[in-house]
Amino acid sequence: MNEVIHQFFDVGFMAEHFDEVLEGFWLTIQLWLFAAILSLAWGLGLALLRQLPGRKFLPVRFVTIAYIDVFRAVPLLLLIVLIATGIPSLDFIPKSIRIPEWFGKPDPFWYGTLALTITYGAYMAEVYRAGIEAVPQGQMEAARSLGMNHRKAMRHVIVPQAVGKVFAPMLNELITLMKDTTLVSVIALNEVVLTGQDIQSGTFNSSALTLGALMFIVVILPLARLTDKLIARNQGRVARGSHIEVA
Amino acid sequence: MAESMLKLEDIHKRFGDLEVLRGVNLDVAKGEVVCVLGPSGSGKSTLLRCVNLLEPPEQGEIFLEGRDICKGPGSGTGESSWELDFVRQRVGMVFQQFNLFPHKTVLENVTMAPEKVLDKPRAEVKAKATALLERVGLSDKLSQYPERLSGGQQQRVAIARALAMDPQVMLFDEVTSALDPELVKEVLDTMRELAAEGMTMLVVTHEMEFAKEVGDQVVFMDGGVIVEQGRPIDVLDNPCEERTKKFLGLVLER
Repeated sequence: MNEVIHQFFDVGFMAEHFDEVLEGFWLTIQLWLFAAILSLAWGLGLALLRQLPGRKFLPVRFVTIAYIDVFRAVPLLLLIVLIATGIPSLDFIPKSIRIPEWFGKPDPFWYGTLALTITYGAYMAEVYRAGIEAVPQGQMEAARSLGMNHRKAMRHVIVPQAVGKVFAPMLNELITLMKDTTLVSVIALNEVVLTGQDIQSGTFNSSALTLGALMFIVVILPLARLTDKLIARNQGRVARGSHIEVA
Repeated sequence: MAESMLKLEDIHKRFGDLEVLRGVNLDVAKGEVVCVLGPSGSGKSTLLRCVNLLEPPEQGEIFLEGRDICKGPGSGTGESSWELDFVRQRVGMVFQQFNLFPHKTVLENVTMAPEKVLDKPRAEVKAKATALLERVGLSDKLSQYPERLSGGQQQRVAIARALAMDPQVMLFDEVTSALDPELVKEVLDTMRELAAEGMTMLVVTHEMEFAKEVGDQVVFMDGGVIVEQGRPIDVLDNPCEERTKKFLGLVLER
């Protein structure tokens, strides 16, 4: 038993390596922030493309749906490795883009951001779609009957309501995204997992990895609780009869 | 003969295999109130939705102020007319389920379209919206959200919202059907005032008294065609057609 505690939960060891692990975790958080903002925006873009009306936009809708299907099916880890090993070899791309080091972050950081955005953009698009489809048809009709074109109706009427409806599932995706950033450790980004692993291989003590896990728990638990609360509140609203049917 | 505001010629509309409108002709003069009656499924709501091109007809022509609004590329897409802007800014619509924007206050519901569609200055739009809401008796509800309002109040907001675009024609699609009985009157009163001010109105309704009192013309529809039309006293009190008699008998039995 002592051996287990020593291997995984050595408090003294954790304290000794705290700063290092925290630095790795800070990189994890930054990666998460970039990927979160970009995939929220990209996902919305995809969802809107998917909703374009009329025969004219059939090809756009088709390509968008194909994109979403493909990247929901491709494993994120595979995509990360594919991007990180493939893009640097594309000589026709200028080196500053091919091997980016923006904001003082190493290139694996940006390959990771790209892969996460591509994949989570597809996930987010599905979340937005659920929200858009949950807005009653009458809302679009009312907006159109007032002279708004599709774009304005989406922007001022549909999307604000859709986002309100899927806030909780969106937070869930963001939580999963945070955990999935750890996959970027395989392309040598010194985030929390790789940091812990390096420490482990030098000392044969796993407590630094456990410390990393604790840091995730500290950040994610409040987010998860918030999500639960939002879901409960939304259900309360539905149970009360919501907006329209009140006579 | 008064100036024609809206003229429908041989309107056909189908949803899949179901032909909902099978050749409807209708002439609405400026300032006229036309009440459309008929059993459910007779095509009356679809007819209204054709007029503002929410459901573009597949066949036939609609003239709004003499302008053919059915011309355009492709049909069945909801975008088939070149004249969408012309139509939507001249034709206001009020729905059975109100369809107020729940994430906006009462005032914002009314200001949104003039502000975002017509790009009018905020102050002007706001002043006008406030006046409209006062007119429908809701000046104390400006900053409320729709869910806090009764159905009758919501429907009056919806009327004010449509009026904010200065429509030439107003379409009412069973606007009192979702209301509790005691709230029907306040909405009908608002519509009476509107009619008295000379608004051209096309009203799908089950309110016989309203049709009799306010309607200049009553149209009875069944099976996607107009079965009978004329002055309210003629159609409602002395219908010629069997189908009209039967329908009125069933409605008045209630």
